[in-house]
Amino acid sequence: MARSTKSPAPPARRRAVIVGGVRTPFVKAFSEFTKMDAIALSVVAVRELLSRFPVPRAELDALVWGGVILPGTSPNVGREIVLDLQLPHSIEAMTVTRACASGLSAITTAAAAIERGDADVVIAGGADSTSNAEIKLPQKWVHALAPLALGGKVKPADYLGVLAQLAPFHDLLPTRPRIAERSTGEVMGEAAEKMARRNEISRLEQDAFALRSHQRAAAAIASGRFDEEVCLVETPEGQRVHADTLVRADSSLEKLARLRPVFAKDGTLTAGNSSPLTDGASAVLLMSEEKARALGFVPRAAFRSWAYCGVDPADQLLMGPAIAMPKALERAGLPLSEMGIVDMHEAFAAQVLSVLKMLGSTAFAQARLGLNHAVGEVDTDRLNVHGGSLALGHPFGGTGARMVTTVVNELYHSDRQFGLLGICAAGGLGAAAVLERIG
Amino acid sequence: MSDLLVDLGQNPYIKQAIKQLGLPLPMPEKLRRPRGAWEERPLDGRTVVVFACGQLTLPLAATLAQAGAFAKVVGTSLQAAPFVAPGEAFGRRIVQIEADAEPPADLRADALVFDASSLSMPRELRGLYDAFHPYIGALNRGGRVLVIGRPASASRTAAEAATSAALDGFVRSLAKEVGRKGATAHTVFVEPGAGERLPPLVRFLLSDRSSFLTGQPWTVDARVESTLDVKFVRPLEGKTALVTGAARGIGASIAQALAAEGAKVVCLDRPGDEAPLAQVAQAIGGAAIALDITERDASVKLIDYLDTKCGPLDILIHNAGITRDKTLGRMSASYWDQALAVNLDAVVDLTEALLAHGLSNNARIVCLSSVSGLAGNVGQSNYSASKAGVVGYVKALSQTIAQRGMTINAIAPGFIETRLTAAMPAVTREVARRLSALGQGGLPKDIAELVTFLSSPGASGLTGQCQRACGGMFIGA
Repeated sequence: MARSTKSPAPPARRRAVIVGGVRTPFVKAFSEFTKMDAIALSVVAVRELLSRFPVPRAELDALVWGGVILPGTSPNVGREIVLDLQLPHSIEAMTVTRACASGLSAITTAAAAIERGDADVVIAGGADSTSNAEIKLPQKWVHALAPLALGGKVKPADYLGVLAQLAPFHDLLPTRPRIAERSTGEVMGEAAEKMARRNEISRLEQDAFALRSHQRAAAAIASGRFDEEVCLVETPEGQRVHADTLVRADSSLEKLARLRPVFAKDGTLTAGNSSPLTDGASAVLLMSEEKARALGFVPRAAFRSWAYCGVDPADQLLMGPAIAMPKALERAGLPLSEMGIVDMHEAFAAQVLSVLKMLGSTAFAQARLGLNHAVGEVDTDRLNVHGGSLALGHPFGGTGARMVTTVVNELYHSDRQFGLLGICAAGGLGAAAVLERIG
Repeated sequence: MSDLLVDLGQNPYIKQAIKQLGLPLPMPEKLRRPRGAWEERPLDGRTVVVFACGQLTLPLAATLAQAGAFAKVVGTSLQAAPFVAPGEAFGRRIVQIEADAEPPADLRADALVFDASSLSMPRELRGLYDAFHPYIGALNRGGRVLVIGRPASASRTAAEAATSAALDGFVRSLAKEVGRKGATAHTVFVEPGAGERLPPLVRFLLSDRSSFLTGQPWTVDARVESTLDVKFVRPLEGKTALVTGAARGIGASIAQALAAEGAKVVCLDRPGDEAPLAQVAQAIGGAAIALDITERDASVKLIDYLDTKCGPLDILIHNAGITRDKTLGRMSASYWDQALAVNLDAVVDLTEALLAHGLSNNARIVCLSSVSGLAGNVGQSNYSASKAGVVGYVKALSQTIAQRGMTINAIAPGFIETRLTAAMPAVTREVARRLSALGQGGLPKDIAELVTFLSSPGASGLTGQCQRACGGMFIGA
């Protein structure tokens, strides 16, 4: 850490700009979108993106998509979107997976490709449908049945062979999907519970933070602020969903206080201050600055920097942004105080509040970042100004593009110059980016 | 080989039954031993009670939080203050307990650390009693006791020297008392000006890597030149090590441990053991050289090998050793000569030759001595002479090589479960195992852990010492 690589000013280079973004409404898993998998939701978002920002199809170079629960039979979701939308076959596509940072990862991958000169126009984003998580048959079945499936003529005796392979008869039931760390076995909520204890974040603080997220999201919906970034979805059942369904305008501290802790008996994390399982997709359109202007689009913002990091998942699993955000600021050459907007993914209120405490701690800055002073305090009027994942929901791969779109639009409509993003992710990953207004 | 009593002791029902029947069987605690290489946080989640009444709280505070421990600091809020910032930085906020308050009822401690660096008068030793008496019962199985003081040599008055020496006696007794819980105790004497070299040793002694070491005084000084740039994970990356007697047993274990921390290891053993030697070397991606170290031109051959194959050594481990036991009256001259030639002459000859050419600056040298060498043993006059000689050599040489940034230390293993001890008569073996604070033998791995620690850049504060790795064996000083 604290490497200050002072290289001479680089020559003026190609810049990737964000033209705009669109997302589906985010809805609770196993509700309106249950019959739509991640590909179907993505198709809606990208179709709407291209209708709001009508790029001549021949100008499209690539599509980069982020996802966490990828369909087993077609894991390259990105390519399936291109094909389903009958976009030109020449649009190459990839799918990136970096846990909850997948969406941002897709976008920065696209930006890097543009800035490197590999592409001029790229669609990036992500989606997840928890409703369509696949139940996996234990590998024991696969290994035992393979000779029957792949071998030649099957004799009755071969079935006995399968039985022999399956004995002893346990571990044969499909396992329930859980959001647990593979390396530690810890469920993410337990990790956040640990962080709440370690960083002394009270139940009340968490509930108050969650309440504000809901109030701000509700206000944004009511005011029409999200209209330019949320599109209508018609479900196969003919239902029309035009707004986020998880936001509770009528929530209150009293209601939140009544909820029972879910990850530990004497814990502080509840369904109210944790982000819910969500279905949704979001997409953004990136171009090289020259191309955007040539095609008549208004570039709204560009990346000043980004940073990814990893920490020990056995320690404080979701503290990544406390490392990644200062790293991105350092790369941008800007202090936290210059950030007009700070947008943090709200996996859990406890996790956001823990990271904020770390950013405000001089001891943390000195010991963990090699800085002399604390990164700084984030005051509430620039943090998650239109709510976050607690209220809106968190379709893993879909969150990054939602955050980028909201911040880009906020910069565009206000007089604020810079926006800072921070995302925590499974595996002890952290992601951050600094966005800069154009014009 | 496996130890039946340790295995039985792991079964709570059998343990309970033996206790209730009143059988006079010791039930040694199974020692915790880490798998794999050094971790970033060897004390993750452990509770360490610190009696913060001395001058060494700063290095202690940083070490504990960084290593993942939760500190409970007994003392005034002023004394606890240095622990606050590291605790905050590493997400391990501290708890302060007033010194005159009762220990919290539900407190269980994985380690008790007493900073005695401010004690200067014998009367102040009462502080030890006052601190440990209420807390010793809260020490967990496999726990640690650490008393940190100033060495007698740094004392300004004889009374201060007495105070300092008293710490050692206190800890040695405590080691024997807590040993049956599988817990260990150490004294660390820190020379003035050597405080910043304390953290690696504290990490090591509080970790599971030191579980077979107990009742030992350690001295940390600043004699050896060092950059103090210490890595806690893969500390030996980029280092080249030579281990003699590496074909099997303790030597093979040392070679594996050094390689696990990133060292390139040259494994040396005598001609005739090529097959097991090659197996050890291959498994760790090291090199093998078959060489009789007692040959007159052994050092020439070795230096030639190093020059052409791998360059200068950063780590030199004299592990090769033999026994030729007979009571002195019955001992042949060849028995005497053989034991001395391998155990002492070769150590001195190879070291001298490599010091002239073939050891890099900041090298670490570790010699294997033996508890027999320190205490004497019937039928081992030759062996004991050679192993005590090694200790004398280490002490003297440490002075002359200090300005080159080099350290040299000796390790005296007690009863270690190897091929040699498995061949002992059963009764003798059983007695040897049980006559120790921990009531069990050690494993080759335990020696390898200590060797690796002493070979690491962070061990720059330790030189010219002989550390016992004996589980608190009752014989010897």
